[in-house]
Amino acid sequence: MYKFLLNLLVIICIATFAQAQDFPFGKFTVEELQQKNYKNDTSAHAYVLNEFGSTRIDMGNNDRINMFFKYHVKIKILDSKAFDKGTITIPFRSYDEIIEDVMDIKATTTYTDDAGGIRTAELDASKIYTTSLNKYWKEIKFAMPNLRNGCIIEYSYTKIIPGFYSFPSWDFQSDIPKIYSEYQVHIPAFWTYTAMMRGGLKLTKNTSEVERECFSARGAKCDCSFMSYGMGDIPAMIEEDYMTAPKNFLSAVYFNLQEWVNPMTGAKQRVTKEWADIDYNLKHDDYFGSQIKKNLMKPYLLPVVAGAKDDLSKAIAVYQYIQKTIKWNGIVSTGSDNVRKALDTHSGHVGDINLALVAALNSAGIKTDAVLLSTRDNGTVNRLYPVEREFNYVIAKATIGTEEYLLDASDPLLPFGTLPMRCLNDQGRVICFDKPSYWMDLNNKQRKITTSALDLTLQTNGKLKGTITTYSSGYDGYLKRQAIKKFNSTDEYVENLDERLTHVKILKSEFGNLHSLDQPLSEKYDVEIDLYNGLNHDRMAFNPIILDRMVDNPFKLQDRAYPVDRGMPSSSRYIITMHLPAGYGIESAPQQANIALPNKGGRFMTDFSGEGSNFSYSNVMQFDKAIYAPEEYPYLKELYNKIIASEKAEIVFKKKS
Amino acid sequence: MRRICTLLILLLPAITAKAQDNYAVNLIPKELLPYTSSVIRNQSVVTEIKDAGSMVYRIKKAITILNKNGDDDARIVLFYDKSRAIKSIKGATYDEFGKLVNKFSERNFNDEGTTDGFSLYQDSRVKHYLPSIASYPYTIEYEVEMRYKQTLVLPDWRPMPDASIAVEKSSYTFACKPDFKISYKEINMPAKMTTGKNQEGLTTYNWQVSNLKAYRSEPYSPIAENYLSKVKIAPKTFTYSGIPGTYSNWNDLGRWEYDNLLKGRQDLPQFAKDQVKELTANISDPKQKAKKIYEYMQSKTRYISVQIGIGGFQPYPASEVDKLNYGDCKGLVNYTQALLEAANIPAWYCVVEAGSNKTSMLNDFATMDQGNHIILCLPFKNDTTFLECTSQKIPFGFLSNFTDDRTVLACTPEGGKLMRTPKYTTAQNLQTRNAQFSIADNGDLSGDMVTIYKGTQYDNPEQLVGEPFNEQVKWLRKEYNNISNLEIEKFNLKQDKQEMPVATETIKLNAADFASADNGKLYFSLNPVNRMRSLKDVRNRINPVYINRGYTDEDEITYTLPKGYRPDSDPWVVNLSQPFGKYRASVTITGDKLIYKRRIEIIDGTYDKEVYSKLVEFYQKIADNDAYTVSLVKN
Repeated sequence: MYKFLLNLLVIICIATFAQAQDFPFGKFTVEELQQKNYKNDTSAHAYVLNEFGSTRIDMGNNDRINMFFKYHVKIKILDSKAFDKGTITIPFRSYDEIIEDVMDIKATTTYTDDAGGIRTAELDASKIYTTSLNKYWKEIKFAMPNLRNGCIIEYSYTKIIPGFYSFPSWDFQSDIPKIYSEYQVHIPAFWTYTAMMRGGLKLTKNTSEVERECFSARGAKCDCSFMSYGMGDIPAMIEEDYMTAPKNFLSAVYFNLQEWVNPMTGAKQRVTKEWADIDYNLKHDDYFGSQIKKNLMKPYLLPVVAGAKDDLSKAIAVYQYIQKTIKWNGIVSTGSDNVRKALDTHSGHVGDINLALVAALNSAGIKTDAVLLSTRDNGTVNRLYPVEREFNYVIAKATIGTEEYLLDASDPLLPFGTLPMRCLNDQGRVICFDKPSYWMDLNNKQRKITTSALDLTLQTNGKLKGTITTYSSGYDGYLKRQAIKKFNSTDEYVENLDERLTHVKILKSEFGNLHSLDQPLSEKYDVEIDLYNGLNHDRMAFNPIILDRMVDNPFKLQDRAYPVDRGMPSSSRYIITMHLPAGYGIESAPQQANIALPNKGGRFMTDFSGEGSNFSYSNVMQFDKAIYAPEEYPYLKELYNKIIASEKAEIVFKKKS
Repeated sequence: MRRICTLLILLLPAITAKAQDNYAVNLIPKELLPYTSSVIRNQSVVTEIKDAGSMVYRIKKAITILNKNGDDDARIVLFYDKSRAIKSIKGATYDEFGKLVNKFSERNFNDEGTTDGFSLYQDSRVKHYLPSIASYPYTIEYEVEMRYKQTLVLPDWRPMPDASIAVEKSSYTFACKPDFKISYKEINMPAKMTTGKNQEGLTTYNWQVSNLKAYRSEPYSPIAENYLSKVKIAPKTFTYSGIPGTYSNWNDLGRWEYDNLLKGRQDLPQFAKDQVKELTANISDPKQKAKKIYEYMQSKTRYISVQIGIGGFQPYPASEVDKLNYGDCKGLVNYTQALLEAANIPAWYCVVEAGSNKTSMLNDFATMDQGNHIILCLPFKNDTTFLECTSQKIPFGFLSNFTDDRTVLACTPEGGKLMRTPKYTTAQNLQTRNAQFSIADNGDLSGDMVTIYKGTQYDNPEQLVGEPFNEQVKWLRKEYNNISNLEIEKFNLKQDKQEMPVATETIKLNAADFASADNGKLYFSLNPVNRMRSLKDVRNRINPVYINRGYTDEDEITYTLPKGYRPDSDPWVVNLSQPFGKYRASVTITGDKLIYKRRIEIIDGTYDKEVYSKLVEFYQKIADNDAYTVSLVKN
């Protein structure tokens, strides 16, 4: 297994940035091996020395069209924190027609041994493990042998993908920096793909050539376009908080099949070129249009809509019926093989549920379209070329009078017209069967709104007694109902709250609109709060923020490269009214604050008013945007700083002499 | 990085009931409903041994899911591989009124490869099923039969599988040929065993429970193993992977393990042995030799787990680990043992239940399933030393909170021995901090802070080691999140890797607007660096209070106040003392210096359940005190 190589024999190969071919396997320089850090990013624990990939469309041994994807990488491991890079996982599909295969795995580790000699260890083929993950996916895993600090690992493999639809994409960027990464594609003229770049980095190589007669299938021959995409000095992708899918920002190239000519018959097939094609396909698709066109009135909806006075109440009744009837199985999708089956078995994925909703609303006479979208985790959809497979989710858009409502029935706690956070991602495509599809914003006008009002009286024993009332509206109402649902009963929820707020003893509780999902949820608690140990002080400092005082700024980075995406605007208001015992008065009050974000992004305001032995303090926190640009980040961070500072300030009251 | 290895997953599904059972939800006794999200209506588990080499396991279970929180309790999970096979599965679901909704069978199950998240490969697979029913409550009833090709590990019985599950009726029957002898141990069992004979002439041991209320998870509870009901069964004679064995105590079991799974797996190639000799040539003290070898092992290996067949209990040969430079806990311990042997240093392979909770082997009841990890013991005279072999960084002889203070099984040529790993005490787990801070009249903070971490607290800053400065700063901003706008000018972390290791963190820092100005006053947090969080109260607590590990924190911050300002309050001192802990904090003022001192001691042990409210009060008072805001006024 060991190959002892004399230092002298090591062929020194200088990496050039414009190779036409894959770089040679097993070559390295002593300099690479001795490198202690990466000069372009000293924080890296590992970096890619060179990475090469290529995809070629060709006839396979099975006499079918296959894509041959070759991958080859050489990584420098600087220290043990990057040893996870030495465990390689290659997932591949294995289901029905799509039986992929991975072959020609080759892997070596080159390291300096204890005596200072350079050694190369090869991966033992018996240590390559294939696991069948589920009925769709398998994976190959192996661990590189003999990892040491400073070693170089190198591996390559070829993946055979049947067909020509899912042409492999290429990520230039990953979680470690790369010196150079190149992807070459050989596409016979029978096929036409559009290539799409994503991310903010620029290609350093982008060439296109013609390869003569590179493809032949049963006598049919054609030329190939041979394209090379190269990128040098690629920084690592670093994830930040409040960021949507990293994929949105990762530099990568994607390919989409536009049209192809059958090499045997010469028949030309347009796959997707215009939205009109997609619209047409969806309309006639068994998994989409056919499901939406089903009339669900008779077997399901007659009792549901009976008694509904107007269209809105009819729509709400249908929405709630679907919410309660089909339980979401946690799978996201854009289509359904049978919405009736989902209604009958009470179980389905997102496509089942929301296409059933679209069909049901239309059956009930409410004009409703399906809207395709990509969830936050799945990344945003490009809007330059129509690519249907970038969508992974479908919702409904109902039109009632002049109002439009975006609906997702996958969660029984969602109010009519509110989308879950996962859907709030840029724009969705409205698929209408009577006119062309179009883009629409998904932000849906929804907000998070919380108001807390405290009315407290300071007793002579030092305890505060009174009420805390909280109204949670919009998305906050949904979140609060979710939190309550985590308990077996509201009593258990209150008990837990009481136990968590150790200062506060809850004497009585009352909930309003717990089940009326479109109304603000109210919680009212009669409380006793332990604040002072008896009134033995003549002069007392009081911080008016009794609940949820902000002490920690969520934004800690100096600068930010990506937008802060909070999904939707939010506002919260806090009001406390205090009644002091007779003989007490206010000595000093906090300064009033009024700070605003630029571009009408939001504000923080406080207010104080006091008279005699009563005073009230209030503050309002408003974030009026769903997304803040990186340029707005410093202001956002500073606003939080100001809120934290302001919430430290105290009111001093004292006994009048 | 330390990982446990799965020695053997014997995760067994829980069972079905007779078809004529009525699962109407209104038949559940009312007293079983509080804190309950699902109710086991009827469960019967049977383990049957007809020959020494295999067993049949049957479970019949009916469980009613009352609300969404109980959904997971309806899930059926069945692991299988070459040594355990699923023989049959059938089941059905019922609505609130006990009316049949649906039937299901094996073809409704998902079949997947297992991934425990840290293994490169495991040969076991899993079949699982979760019924989808949109309305609550509902009942799932199922019946599963499994066959095991071993009799070394016999299934435990836990009538209460988890929190928030109540039990109406549940029973366990262990049936075996009269000549198959067992011993059993009842832990917190509300019912006693009855014995008899079944129709096939097998000896039966039966346990039955009914109407058990659901329990809540309570903070500071003893380790679940110590308070939940459980029956454990051990065979006298058994077969495992074709190897027969007999045992009646830890000594026998340890000897069997040594003779059959460990012996002869420590051969090393000659050059590896020579390397060890060369490495230790100039060292005479055996312990120093061992340290050198251990550090050598750390520098050339990493943790990779591959679990195939008997591999669950047997290490890869040392020669294999030497070649690949990786292994799981068994492989790395066995390899280290082999390296030490090349230097004539004896060492023992020890089975331990790893994790922050201190779980010991049962003193009086030996079974093979009581550990999930392997460490190495060096039995030096009067200086027994234990080694964790799966981490590249942990100091020689230090176990951290992963395997400290618990009983482990050492497998030696003379048989099994129960041994205890060292305890790190309240006094030893010490964090000492000293800060010199200045506050400017615009509220800016600047200063230096030195923190020394000892004992199990040594690990607190461990993840900062080897990280680039910007990553360290990110971490420090989270750790010291009460200092807004924290800027780190200098950071240094020094690790002294002794058996009782010491880490020293030195920070030079500043923070704009640390003190906020309001109406001519300056406000700042007195203790922005080490704050206690309040503890959730639990009314009607059932469990005693258990503090798993003690520690001591000492902080001293000297603030130099801005010119022209003085504190708006007098010096103070707070003193709290309880059996489980002590706290003292004080503020003194001399000239322009405000000195804050804080000392907290949390003492490990088990206390009456009534103590819990005192613990809550103690934490709350500390949390309040730690959040003290100093206000400065102009002179």
